[in-house]
Amino acid sequence: MKPGHKPFLQRLSADAPLLFILIAMVVLMALLLPGRFLASYNLVNLANQLPVLALLSIGMMVSMLSGGINLAIVAAANFTGIVTALTMDWLTGGAAATAGLPVILLSMAVGLAACMVIALLTGFLIAWLEIPPILATLGVMMLLDGLSIVMTRGYTLSGFPPFVVEIGNGSLFWAIPNAFVILVLVILALHFVLNRSPFGFKLYMLGANPRAAEYSNIDTRMVLMKQYALSFLLAALTGFIMMGQFNSVKANYAESYVLVTVLACFLGGINPFGGDGRLSGIVLAAVILQTISSGVNLLGVDPFFVTAMWGAIILIVIAVSHLTGRHSIQAMIRALGLGRDKAAARPETKE
Amino acid sequence: MKLFQRSEFYLVVLIALICIFITSQNPNFLTLQNLYGVLRSASVNGIFAVGVLFVLILGGTPDVSFPAIAQVTQYVAVLALIAIGGGNIALAFAIAIVLGAVMGALNGIIIQIFRVTTIVVTIATFNLYFGMLYVLSRGDVLFEVPRPFHDFGGTLLFAREGANGAVYGLSLLPVLWLAVMIVGWFILRRTMLGRSIFAMGGDEVSAVRIGVNTFAVRLFVFSFVGALAGIAGIAHASLVLSAIPNSIVGVELEVIAAVVLGGASLFGGKGTVTGTMLGVLLFAILRNGLVLLNISSYWYDVTIGIAIILGMSANAWQRRNQVNVAVEGEAP
Repeated sequence: MKPGHKPFLQRLSADAPLLFILIAMVVLMALLLPGRFLASYNLVNLANQLPVLALLSIGMMVSMLSGGINLAIVAAANFTGIVTALTMDWLTGGAAATAGLPVILLSMAVGLAACMVIALLTGFLIAWLEIPPILATLGVMMLLDGLSIVMTRGYTLSGFPPFVVEIGNGSLFWAIPNAFVILVLVILALHFVLNRSPFGFKLYMLGANPRAAEYSNIDTRMVLMKQYALSFLLAALTGFIMMGQFNSVKANYAESYVLVTVLACFLGGINPFGGDGRLSGIVLAAVILQTISSGVNLLGVDPFFVTAMWGAIILIVIAVSHLTGRHSIQAMIRALGLGRDKAAARPETKE
Repeated sequence: MKLFQRSEFYLVVLIALICIFITSQNPNFLTLQNLYGVLRSASVNGIFAVGVLFVLILGGTPDVSFPAIAQVTQYVAVLALIAIGGGNIALAFAIAIVLGAVMGALNGIIIQIFRVTTIVVTIATFNLYFGMLYVLSRGDVLFEVPRPFHDFGGTLLFAREGANGAVYGLSLLPVLWLAVMIVGWFILRRTMLGRSIFAMGGDEVSAVRIGVNTFAVRLFVFSFVGALAGIAGIAHASLVLSAIPNSIVGVELEVIAAVVLGGASLFGGKGTVTGTMLGVLLFAILRNGLVLLNISSYWYDVTIGIAIILGMSANAWQRRNQVNVAVEGEAP
């Protein structure tokens, strides 16, 4: 049931396999890269790179908790950045890099508003029209990618004011990157939203059994709308951080992250059928993936070998979790049962 | 089932409306030359789509690894034919089908043994296959495909001379697509195997109880998808006359969307070859229409996105009306 209600030790033991993998990965990288991986500049670097992957993964997790998925998450991040950049450009008459704070904040508000309109559209498609989330978000993803390309004509827009760059690259507190501080704040906020708020309770319940949730007088449509709004909000936040880190926006930045976030959810023990998954799991999974990614990057490995490695890692995780019984046949049958229940909740036509 | 309750009916209406609109703007759309071209360019996705349909009917989540399998089999087949200095297209197909079936079978085996959803396993194998192809090939582009690919891709049926002197006709690729669809239809609708696939998609636990060998059926479906990906890979090489390691990947979501628009259920147990064909044709016609209407290709993704959203909304609307009818019918 709800993870927040379990005793602390029990929660910790649920994350033990992930902690073990993380420690193993850190030790492995430290051995492969003596003096370089654990160097302070690399750790700062890691803390700087982690937020984009972690925020997107949390956004993906939120949509999976209701039994959905958000394939549009990266497209929404880019879209937010592009709308913000274009607004800033328009307000300053083409000199975005010199924009003052009010203009910057106004532009970001416009970008965020655009992203929220898309969130409402997505929520409407899924909650009211009952379009399968994978398809609705796929349509929205293509729409957003298309709009982003049309708006930028496929070009990269670059050159933002220092304030924007600071969000992604600066560090206000000693060497701790601002992006990392934002991530920590988001995790704390999400902990309360998911584990301590009525919305979080309803979200888990909706994911575990949509029909039971409906009979329990939960406004499932409203929960779905809020859930996609939250998922897209995290995407917008990632969009702002990416703007600062790259000091540019483009239609197809970080496209491959969609699949990496799905991988993070899987590694983090999020049930793709909904209702089950801990925030701590997804955060640990994102840290593990970022550790591996940064490590092999430092090792100077062929990037396509890294692609192959992601695949191999998923297969290994699948095999290991099978052997340790986390995804036993019984669990699968239960999952299938849930899947069928959802199919029943969205009636199909008869042949 | 009544005609207007089928998603195929709505797709035909939608396609007809789009065709009428395009023709009204540019009469060149409704020429045999252009329609042959549309069919030719739709063939590769059309062949993929039949495989995707099988996986969707089987249930669970869609397979996304097929473009990577096509990419690998295409590259290996072209390399093999270059190595033996020619050969013929049948050999290329044989290599691609066998290799594709083996790569697809691996998906099926992993899913069956480890009981993980299809999309997770196939994301993994996609990355594995695609990454290894790049590492082993060093990303080398094969610009010169052997003669048999030129012959196969260049053969035209019902060839005639166009107004501008260019010869046009029906390429062999749509014929291949048609053959694949007939085989797919036959398996699904006329064999025990097809019934078993539908049964597993309807409810796997019940399928086991009525004696379906789920391992054999799953193994067949994923091998079949792999083999079709191999065929599509060779068709693609004959179409573009090169083997570029990243020229196919990226179509996966569009193909899945086409199949789902064609009426296949993401929950399994439902889908038709005709609907799948219509879904693929819809996207091909949209793409062609943008070119004929002189609209920048930037707009393609926007159009496809809107088409998916509108198509699914119509589908949902129609389904809801049916539910209401059913509820009224059940009342005492």
